[in-house]
Amino acid sequence: MALPDPSRLEPSTARQSSNPIPRAIATIAVAILTSLFLLFILAPVVGLVSAGGAHGLSSLASDAELRASLLLTVGTATMATFLGVLGATPLAYLLARRAFRGRAIVSALLDLPLVIPHPVAGIALLLVLGRNTPLGVALLAVGLRVANSPTGIVCAMLFVSAPLYVSAAREAFARVDPRYETVARTLGDDAWRAFRRVTLPLSARGLTAAAVVMWARSVSEFGAIVILTYNPKVASVLAYDRFTSYGLSETLPVAAVLVLLALIPLAALRALRGGEPLPR
Amino acid sequence: MIALERVNARAGGFRLTDVTFAVPQGGYGVVIGPAGSGKTTLLETIAGTIRATSGRVMLGGDDLTHAPPERRRLGIVYQHAYLFPHLDVRKNIEYGAVSTAAAAEVAERFGVHVLGDRRVESLSGGERQLVAIARTLARQPEVLLLDEPFSALDPRTRNTARRLLRTIYFERRFTVLQVTHDFSEAGLLGDIAIMLDRGRVVQQGDPEQVFRKPASPYIADFLGAENVFAGVAQPIRAEAPDWIDAAESEFTQNAVAFTTGALTFYALGDVVPGPTHAVIRAEEISLSAEPAMSSVQNQFRGTIVEIVPGGALTRVTVDAGGTPIVAAVTSRSMRELGLSVGVSVVAGFKATAVHLC
Repeated sequence: MALPDPSRLEPSTARQSSNPIPRAIATIAVAILTSLFLLFILAPVVGLVSAGGAHGLSSLASDAELRASLLLTVGTATMATFLGVLGATPLAYLLARRAFRGRAIVSALLDLPLVIPHPVAGIALLLVLGRNTPLGVALLAVGLRVANSPTGIVCAMLFVSAPLYVSAAREAFARVDPRYETVARTLGDDAWRAFRRVTLPLSARGLTAAAVVMWARSVSEFGAIVILTYNPKVASVLAYDRFTSYGLSETLPVAAVLVLLALIPLAALRALRGGEPLPR
Repeated sequence: MIALERVNARAGGFRLTDVTFAVPQGGYGVVIGPAGSGKTTLLETIAGTIRATSGRVMLGGDDLTHAPPERRRLGIVYQHAYLFPHLDVRKNIEYGAVSTAAAAEVAERFGVHVLGDRRVESLSGGERQLVAIARTLARQPEVLLLDEPFSALDPRTRNTARRLLRTIYFERRFTVLQVTHDFSEAGLLGDIAIMLDRGRVVQQGDPEQVFRKPASPYIADFLGAENVFAGVAQPIRAEAPDWIDAAESEFTQNAVAFTTGALTFYALGDVVPGPTHAVIRAEEISLSAEPAMSSVQNQFRGTIVEIVPGGALTRVTVDAGGTPIVAAVTSRSMRELGLSVGVSVVAGFKATAVHLC
């Protein structure tokens, strides 16, 4: 085999190692910009936790309202996530697997709650589920009050967070080669059994991560909830209420505890995703 | 039996159009076609995971056009094994098995029982494919669909997998439809060969006829083989003639006597005794006026019945005891041997030139 003429390599080799000064400047610029960006993200969070974290954790014992608010937040977020997983998983599967008429419209509709301002989402929900609306009246007749109740909080969380779950769950299903199902079907499984025995286990990590994202988004929701249900107060509404009523110092413990609460899904996501491969 | 009657189907932008053929009960069919010709779509339409938009899919005599895959009593093995990664080897094989005993038996037959608790990620490509075949056969399907199951394997593993599958096929006599894009990978030729191109069946029939008389230049070019013989193979290792050890000692395969019509010639191959096909490329066959004193052991006298010029090589057909043998001969040899229709010549080829499949 003929070796390449070394003289032909020289120009490109020279190009690669030429102009070291601009390359160094570019590297320094990227490092500075990255550091500034990370500082911008980290500084408020670290500042908040360091200023109110310890107080927040200690006030969990003494502040009954904060405790109740956190329990309400976690409970409603869990319920919203449960309902989202239950109701949206089949839709995510359909979007991943089936080509059907109107698929693009359904996808666009699902993105809508993500792009409209969340207080507007709350107003929209109020127009449908408020106590003076036909649906609100009907629900009230069966003993289900939406506005100013935990049900309203769950509705608001579900509305703004479920699209995130659908999107992530659809990706999780799409990552499972449909031929696994084909093989399972030819091995005797009906469609449901093949889904349960093959597709679900193979997409479980992705689905769990999707649910965690939905739960985290539900916990952090404020805009839609504050319109639909000011009372009882979830943690985000409590923080806002204390800020407007008592000022920054009274708000810090609540806000810091909320940040610490957010670390739980963050850790869960890291664990679920495992060692993410480095980009090549 | 697999019978398709004017089946149309659509998968994404691809269409199967008016596909009609039948593989008899217990028969072996081969679907041949280039990449993108619709072979996998065809298998998945038979399997029921792609819906036929019109026509009929008959399996075992029943019209199962609209039946779900699980009611079709068939199994499918893809080129990529599609072992369930969340289950170990044993659980994969037992997944759809008719019984645990059946799974254990077929696992042992394929030598994968020793892999029992291994995770599928730790298996080699060959092991995966053997497990996939074992998993399918443990269900004891009446119809087996093979989507190029051996093409990704190394030659040794491929031969092992083919031999094992062929042995079980002869024992159980389920109906098989195997697709391939390459004749040399067809492995097991059978009762019917179906040429598929752009979603249509362009030729079908007895494999020997399809290979010997391609319906179009495209098919001829695609197949690229002129000498295809249906016959019976008989391993003769114990009574192998001296030349096997002397001249072919580098081969570890069995010596095989292959009989087609009035001819019996020697070949090398790891085959199960019984009906099979032998393929010899025309370029591997030499012509001479008298039997050659060389290592060429397969020599048959015959009469030239046809000469087809074609560029550098001329195709010369010799009728040897009723069996046509096509040789590719240079124009110089044509002149030196004085070859013309009606001339008596000897056609010779080495045992290593014979491809048993």
